[in-house]
Amino acid sequence: MTAYIVRRLIATIPVMVVVALFVFFLLHLTPGDPAAVIAGDDASPAEIEGVRRKLGLDLPIWQQFGIYAWNLLQGDLGTSIFSNLPVLTLVKQRLEPTIVLALATLFVAVAFAIPMGVLAAWKARSFVDRLVMGFSVLGFAVPVFLFGYVLIYVFAIQLRWLPVQGYRPLAMGLDQTLRSIALPAFALGMTYMALIARITRASMLEVLSEDYIRTAHAKGVAQKSVLLRHALKNAAVPIVTVIGIGLALLISGVVITETVFNIPGLGRLTVDAILKRDYPIIQGLIILFAGAKVMVNLAIDLSYTFFDPRIRY
Amino acid sequence: MTAVAPAVSAPIAAPAHAETILSVRDLRTQFFTRDGVVRAVDGVSFDLKRGETLCIVGESGCGKSVTALSILGLIPAGAGRIVGGSVRFEGTELTTLSEAEMRRIRGNRISMIFQEPMTSLNPVFTVGQQIAESVSIHQGLNRRQAWDRAIEMLSLVKIADPKRRAGEYPHQLSGGMRQRVMIAIALACNPQVLIADEPTTALDVTIQAQILNLMLELKDRLGTAIILITHDLGVVAETAQRVIVMYAGRKAEEAAVDELFRHPIHPYTRGLMASIPRRSAAGRRSQVRGRLQEITGIVPSLREEIPGCAFAPRCGFAVDRCTREQPPFEAHRPAHFAACWEAARVVGTPR
Ligand SMILES: Nc1ncnc2c1ncn2[C@@H]1O[C@H](COP(=O)(O)OP(=O)(O)O)[C@@H](O)[C@H]1O
Ligand code: SF4
Ligand SMILES: [Mg+2]
Repeated sequence: MTAYIVRRLIATIPVMVVVALFVFFLLHLTPGDPAAVIAGDDASPAEIEGVRRKLGLDLPIWQQFGIYAWNLLQGDLGTSIFSNLPVLTLVKQRLEPTIVLALATLFVAVAFAIPMGVLAAWKARSFVDRLVMGFSVLGFAVPVFLFGYVLIYVFAIQLRWLPVQGYRPLAMGLDQTLRSIALPAFALGMTYMALIARITRASMLEVLSEDYIRTAHAKGVAQKSVLLRHALKNAAVPIVTVIGIGLALLISGVVITETVFNIPGLGRLTVDAILKRDYPIIQGLIILFAGAKVMVNLAIDLSYTFFDPRIRY
Repeated sequence: MTAVAPAVSAPIAAPAHAETILSVRDLRTQFFTRDGVVRAVDGVSFDLKRGETLCIVGESGCGKSVTALSILGLIPAGAGRIVGGSVRFEGTELTTLSEAEMRRIRGNRISMIFQEPMTSLNPVFTVGQQIAESVSIHQGLNRRQAWDRAIEMLSLVKIADPKRRAGEYPHQLSGGMRQRVMIAIALACNPQVLIADEPTTALDVTIQAQILNLMLELKDRLGTAIILITHDLGVVAETAQRVIVMYAGRKAEEAAVDELFRHPIHPYTRGLMASIPRRSAAGRRSQVRGRLQEITGIVPSLREEIPGCAFAPRCGFAVDRCTREQPPFEAHRPAHFAACWEAARVVGTPR
């Protein structure tokens, strides 16, 4: 197991090198002179030269990459062109809201989707099943921002239960944070919930027709225990896989949600950086997201061994 | 339907004083499919005495498994249900029990073993956990006690090194060992009745005898009555005290085992016997274990109601009446019953 983890971590090195290469050449692939791109549309030739020298863009390209990679290895993601702050500092400032949003979304989605999927599979082709599946279609079809505005309208503006937008950091107290994150988490969680409910139903349906489920009934195991103990654990591998894939998809959802709810997180940082063409920030974020994705994948693969003893690494 | 008299005068039947523990009367179970109603069990009656071994034999698809599942109330609700008849266990009617009351009987007082040892155990729990679950449900043992009991059961079914095996998962065990585990689960709560549905069919020939002998040995030790379902007349000869031959959801013949092998009445039973290797004069089977071969013709679709004898299309003795009227299930010899209009003629014809 430990050997497997080490192997997997080593295997991430080439992946991250490719990502770093891609990110590095991103700047050089954009049409035109990178120095001119960074200096902006109304920069004078002298200013462009200044940028070129300052960023080392006058050096041979392989040397530039060498410096970039060396800095990366030391945890230096570069410096924002506009604010002149290290990208890592900017990321750290924006990290908390995004992580809280992602975890809350994950929690909301899983907490609702799994019971819904289990119920739908147990009562397959019944009214409850059709209700859950109908909801799931809705969850896919309706875009995140629309859910967001509807939730804001109903729960913040009409009922006044929750704040309209903004984020309260954990330093202000957990209850404040949770209140501020509830609507965004539901808005973002809806698609995710639909996805997980659907796969839970499908996976459970398959498991419920297995011989060992009949054995469980023949032993006198109660229905609830048949579903939640005997069946769900067997159905878990596809479900956690989809949860992992969903986490990756969450990134684009986070950008939209943070915009709709005015949350100062990584999603907003990404949008702002793209609009301002602050390349070092964009590059740093891509590397960060790629690294997160690799780690999530590893965590998912490791979780398989917990659910299925036949899977051993 | 003729009432089934207890096989009092049968040569090796259960002791005459033994009380009936399970009594099935005119059981009818149907499935409702897109192509129509399947009459899987169509009026089956029998009694099981305390400690007795009753074999139900017949070709695949004749309703043996459905009979077993009906007794335990395990017919999948969406697919079919018991539409008539009664199942009485120690005087309690099971067909009308609530689900919660039925759960207290399943795995506790009536247990079942299935055909497929490879798929009948849950792959994500250790075999120890799966045995312990039964005893903790039914006997309220705590974790520690249930685990000890699981190990005790593993050694009872002669699994070597039970302490270590208890912590293993089904995929780490061979087919024969898994079936031993199934037996351990089934017997963990000392049930009065064990229903074994083709428990050795999926196993290696060499393992089959071991598993059968183990079941019979434990049955004697624990005083459990067994309903052994099989399509192998060889298994019947080795294990049964009484035999029911089933065809198309109905009983074709019923007798004590030696009586049945010496004087088969129903043409279907004779067909089954003709397709196994010849037995020695002592009535013991030869070493070669023969699987039941198909008698010419096919098992009828159970989708249409069969007005006469279900075996008529395949029967060499059939007369006009056979296709029109259902033959009564009645005694043709002492404690020997069959459903055949032409029984007298069949018996008079040498095999
Ligand atoms: N879930 C089901 N749905 C529809 N038909 C079924 C179902 N289970 C069994 N049957 C039908 O019931 C009949 C008896 O099956 P079964 O009892 O399994 O036979 P066997 O004697 O081989 O055990 C067969 O015709 C089978 O097709
Ligand atoms: S009743 Fe007729 S068809 Fe049926 S087994 Fe007897 S002789 Fe054959
Ligand atoms: Mg069967």
